[in-house]
Amino acid sequence: MASLQHPFQRLQYASRQVQGSLDVLIGTAGRHIYSYNATNGQRLDVWPQDVDSTTEPASGASAPTHDQTPPEKKRKVSTDAEPQEEKQSAAKKAPAWTTVPLVAISSDGKYVIAVTGEDKAVRVFELGVDGKLKELSSRVLPKRISALSLTADNQTIITADKFGDAFSMPLIPGDYVKKALETKPAGPSATPLTVHTKGNLRTLEMQKQMAEINAAKAAAGEGNDARNFEHHNILGHVSVLTDVINVSLDGREYILTADRDEHIRVSRGIPQVHVIEQFCFGHTSLVSKLCVPENLPHLLISGDLNGNVFVWNWKQGQILQHISLHEALQSEVMPRGIWNISIDQVNVILISLEGSPQLLCYTIEENTLRAQTTVQLSGNVLDIVGTKSNSFIASVDTVRQAGSTDSWNSSSGALLESLQINIGPDGIQCTPSESPVVSNINLAGTSDIPTGLNEKQQQDVNNSLYNLENMKKKSYDE
Amino acid sequence: MTDSVPIKRQKRDEYLRLIKEQEVPTEQVKMPKKKFFRQRAHANVFSDHNLHYPLSPAHMDWSPHYPAYINPDPTQKTLSGTPKLLKDVEVVDIGCGFGGLLVGLSPILPDTLMVGMEIRVSVLDYVRTRIHVLRVRQQQLKLGITPEAAEETQTTTESAPEEEAGTLTSLVPGNYENITGIRANTMKFLPNFFARGQLSKIFVCFPDPHFKARKHKARIISDTLNAEYAFVLRPGGKLYSITDVEEYHHWILRHFIVQDGEDISAGSSKLLWERVEGNELEEDPCVKLMASETEESKKVTRNNGNKYVAVFRRKEDPEW
Repeated sequence: MASLQHPFQRLQYASRQVQGSLDVLIGTAGRHIYSYNATNGQRLDVWPQDVDSTTEPASGASAPTHDQTPPEKKRKVSTDAEPQEEKQSAAKKAPAWTTVPLVAISSDGKYVIAVTGEDKAVRVFELGVDGKLKELSSRVLPKRISALSLTADNQTIITADKFGDAFSMPLIPGDYVKKALETKPAGPSATPLTVHTKGNLRTLEMQKQMAEINAAKAAAGEGNDARNFEHHNILGHVSVLTDVINVSLDGREYILTADRDEHIRVSRGIPQVHVIEQFCFGHTSLVSKLCVPENLPHLLISGDLNGNVFVWNWKQGQILQHISLHEALQSEVMPRGIWNISIDQVNVILISLEGSPQLLCYTIEENTLRAQTTVQLSGNVLDIVGTKSNSFIASVDTVRQAGSTDSWNSSSGALLESLQINIGPDGIQCTPSESPVVSNINLAGTSDIPTGLNEKQQQDVNNSLYNLENMKKKSYDE
Repeated sequence: MTDSVPIKRQKRDEYLRLIKEQEVPTEQVKMPKKKFFRQRAHANVFSDHNLHYPLSPAHMDWSPHYPAYINPDPTQKTLSGTPKLLKDVEVVDIGCGFGGLLVGLSPILPDTLMVGMEIRVSVLDYVRTRIHVLRVRQQQLKLGITPEAAEETQTTTESAPEEEAGTLTSLVPGNYENITGIRANTMKFLPNFFARGQLSKIFVCFPDPHFKARKHKARIISDTLNAEYAFVLRPGGKLYSITDVEEYHHWILRHFIVQDGEDISAGSSKLLWERVEGNELEEDPCVKLMASETEESKKVTRNNGNKYVAVFRRKEDPEW
């Protein structure tokens, strides 16, 4: 029986300036990161190296089940102590994550930054001249990470998390001595004089007890905060952060953040992120994606779950264009990904929709989007990466049927598709093209999804890839 | 019989209906009674609720809140097509509770528009009703209608006497036309209501202390939220805080003022604030009001509790 393979969740193209270095295509699928020669598609490396990297051990299947409690609920973050514990328990135990939902590449092509799913670790890899991935560091953050960006100098990683916070951390962790945290008064938060409820009085009593326990622990030299690396909470929304981008404009850097409460915030770059410059108001639902075109950094294109797409002059908070995809497509679509590819003076914007094989194409003309012919791919569009020579590679979901987020195929089709952008007199046309890179990668495939998953396990796998519907606001009665 | 509206809610609705019927300004108007508006002191600030908030500050319709300040020029419209005001709102009481501070501030800053923001629905209902009654009474006084039963406000059935700020017996500057209350989750939506630098004062009085460390993100004072307060507050504007919880007072100080040896290499909203002290603090009438007029403040006084005040001034944005 033909088995299903993990689709590529993320793609990145490492363009390398150093002589003798290959251009490399990075893809994440299942819990692996793959590195390919960008000219011929030859696989250069897989991380992590499993005992058997093509078929996952059965424990891979059980990983999603033991994770039934949402990760946010886990209060104890895996610390340095836990990996040791794991090593002891089973040498061949699967890693603590099942997906690699985020990956970024430094603009010099030297480093790959990836976030592994359930363990919330930011991992930095050196991308060797030969395309090998060498893990340099792994830093576990407290909350699930929803987006990654890098400062212009490639020295600082910016993460955005589901708890609404953005953190900065150096690309290469240096020597760091954890400073004593806030000088908390050893005693409890309040006095019984303070007018409050029975519940608070109870908490007060517990705090007294905890203070004693902690004091005893501290005396014994056991700290319990293990995030012993430099990181700074540079901004926070009381919401879920959905995206973050660090942008350079007119010699200054800015950080744009998007959240579940319709906000797009424009802040100054590090170290003045606490100065908010602007909010871009107009979205009516969760802002799912931000995209600042590389050649037009004053523009921002953003999408929300009500199918709205806006083009902004983000520095002024000014709407330049509003497109309702619900009206345009007569369907309740949710924009999921927005990419910018620039070719021969033409700025192309591609927009994918949650659980859809359609790829909407636009060109940017005079600060507005002009619709071009929509492309149909063989499966739901997951990620896009521009390659050289006016073409791009799209990864498609080979597990679910095209147009569905939960009906599974019986066998996998091609994982990647190559498309050529042709500039004609009436606009652009994206057409499928032959690419040895893509055919070689498809031929080699990724790892198999374990067969015989039960319904709940399948649902977990679906949710790890398609979560926009779940994040939508429900209307409540008080 | 299948009606499952709780008795408490039924009584409140009935009570509100009665108050609405009092609009005929020749009759005696009565202050609302708090017992019909009590609500548990905590709200989950992370949940979505059923909140109404404007798309942007330029969309906000303040006209029903400050009818005396509506711009007479009908061509002056907000982005949502509603009448504009003659001036902007510039004072906010975050978590205004029963509105005591607003009512106290109203005659002191009679030409300044002020708003109390409260997440708890029924508490906000009380504030709105209270302001409505005060305004109606001011109109009556202007027309020379004397209240025949001034003592009626004294014969309240409440066990604890309601020492209301705000007067029913004499005219005051501003006639309470400059205050209002709105329901909002300011932790999420403050920038939807106020543009950059629109505010001159923000009050945070007796905030929910959220004792548990796990709940500290729900605190209304934090490094990250202080950046939002700095955004809506103009340079020179002030943020006033008061609490009866000593630990929270220290928390507030820690989150506005850089501590010795603290690493701020990646920036910090603390760089945007300076503490107001000395004469300036002592002579500020707002500070006195804050410590005496809010309901929570009175409660603390009754219980011989401590009150901790801290006021911070918004500095100019740093050079960039």
